[in-house]
Amino acid sequence: MGKKNTNSMLMPPAIANAQADAQSLPSVQRKAPCILVVTRNGHMGEPVMNYAINVADRLKYAICAVHINTLPFFCDGGRRNRLFAAAMQESVTLFKRKAQLKGVQVESLGESGKIAKVVKRLCHSGKHIEFVVIDQGIQKEAVAAQSPVPVFNVIYTTTKAGTKAGQINKADYHKPVQEGVSRMSTISKKRHVKNCFVFGSLTAGLYAAVFFNQDLVMTYFTKGGIATLLPVAVVFAVSYAHGNFTSSFWSALGIEGSKASVGKKTDSRQEVPASVDIRKDNRPRAQVNV
Amino acid sequence: MHGPVTEIIQFIDLNAYSIIFLILVGFVGGLVSGFIGSGGAFVLTPAMMSLGVPGTVAVASNMCHKFPKALVGSIKRYKYGQVDIKLGVIMGLFAEMGVQIGIVVQRHILKIWGQAGSNLYVSFIFVCVLVVVGSIVMRDAIKTKKAVGNTSSAGIAKYLQTIELWPMLTFKTANLRISMWFLIPVSLATGMLAATIAVGGFIGVPGLMYIIGATSIVASATELVIAFVMGLGGTLIWAYYGMVDIRLTLLILAGSLFGVQLGAIGTTYVKDYMIKYVMATIMLIVAVSRFFAIPKYLNALNVTSFTDGSVVLMSQASFGIMCLALLTGALIILVSLFKARSQEKAAIPVLG
Repeated sequence: MGKKNTNSMLMPPAIANAQADAQSLPSVQRKAPCILVVTRNGHMGEPVMNYAINVADRLKYAICAVHINTLPFFCDGGRRNRLFAAAMQESVTLFKRKAQLKGVQVESLGESGKIAKVVKRLCHSGKHIEFVVIDQGIQKEAVAAQSPVPVFNVIYTTTKAGTKAGQINKADYHKPVQEGVSRMSTISKKRHVKNCFVFGSLTAGLYAAVFFNQDLVMTYFTKGGIATLLPVAVVFAVSYAHGNFTSSFWSALGIEGSKASVGKKTDSRQEVPASVDIRKDNRPRAQVNV
Repeated sequence: MHGPVTEIIQFIDLNAYSIIFLILVGFVGGLVSGFIGSGGAFVLTPAMMSLGVPGTVAVASNMCHKFPKALVGSIKRYKYGQVDIKLGVIMGLFAEMGVQIGIVVQRHILKIWGQAGSNLYVSFIFVCVLVVVGSIVMRDAIKTKKAVGNTSSAGIAKYLQTIELWPMLTFKTANLRISMWFLIPVSLATGMLAATIAVGGFIGVPGLMYIIGATSIVASATELVIAFVMGLGGTLIWAYYGMVDIRLTLLILAGSLFGVQLGAIGTTYVKDYMIKYVMATIMLIVAVSRFFAIPKYLNALNVTSFTDGSVVLMSQASFGIMCLALLTGALIILVSLFKARSQEKAAIPVLG
């Protein structure tokens, strides 16, 4: 699998200032500054690791790598948590190995909960965090809203083409051994197939009940009056069972909503003012000079 | 429906052909409804009637299938963050009033001009609304496509949003603030059109886009909520008079719930203008279809004197073109969906 690294970030002014501040202060008076690198995926993106290591190397900073499990109570018998832990372990090992080559210190943390809250807590925890670098899958705006330090993201994509200009060397890319939590297609597929059978059976049962008792159903359902509720209740029941069945059916086939559509809707819309401008008061007024 | 039903209703016997036909038509109708918010149901009434189902039963069964389909579609699209429930419910309630007004108008026309006059009125409204609104939507779709996805609100919507007329309503998902007095005419027109031609969305969605100021994605998704409210109200009335053939409803639902889910998924892949494009294409083709249905009613009113053979041919052409409209819409949706899906798959972010 080839990878196209489109990391186009320049050094932010805040980093340059921080570097100057770090060099001007005596080492005894300050804690070691560090870059907080955050991911919600089991495997942190390698372009993020590379970028963080390069910047940390130039600034002589340490790195605090945080893997945040955003769904610690996900109902799958703890499988997701196990996958996350395994993927995180592999990711941290790779990160440390990469950092070691450049002599950058990496501290790893495993957290759970809301990303913005975790970032805010870590920034106030006594660590000298200069800025935050986030992986894909995290909304920058949401983190930046609560973070006391600047937040940057690294944009990268993987293509099937494999040989496009700008790609990193294949030798530099490490294929994960552990299954990542965001690649839950096998688990999801199982769940969808299971739901498909459950709701499919329920739907078939409802249809069978109606069609094997056609005469009875048609007699009572067309009586009108209080029997009005019978067809309505049946279609509600069918819409629940059959709706879930069809949803699971398409998901089991891998036909699901676009992942890239998140934020598409809001991007295309205009900002609406929280409140309208206060209209000018043109009413006549009497003035009294005392 | 106002007033008791005195005729004896003959419900049809179902065979394998009619079952497969209804499921397939339901699927295509559901696909279009899930994508553009409505428009999938208009072909179902004539399709059921072609199987020998009495008109009133066809309308009632179609209405009864419409609201669960709209419910499932709106839930799916709500998960994608496209539905403004508040906007949909408010407009749905006013649209229900519009339906009742539409029925009164229909009954009045039926009383004055008879069945042929009523049918002519329906076809005339069909052609006028579809040609005018379809052209506007198509023009806007082409304009938006050329403007590379710049989907700013229409000028009239922007102007109406600036008018402070109590009570002002704020809709978070639709991201707009507008007076209720501007929602009412759009809702009433939607309901009246639904009562007249069974597809209120041909006014509802463009109204939401160009008068209220919602995006086409939000408009089409919110229209599903309006359709649910209207459909539930209509079903209760039809079911009260014992007109609903639950077997037909369930058969159409069997196909349409597959379609509506797929249509809803499709909206997450395509660009904003695609919804307008599909809607306009269907509307304009259906307008042609209804145009071919007019001579039959003009003959019945002794305005024209087409031969019986010509009238039958034109009626068949009308139904054929209507099916073509739905199939064209469905084809565009499927092609767009799978094309966009394969493009997205070609650029998967590295996540683990």
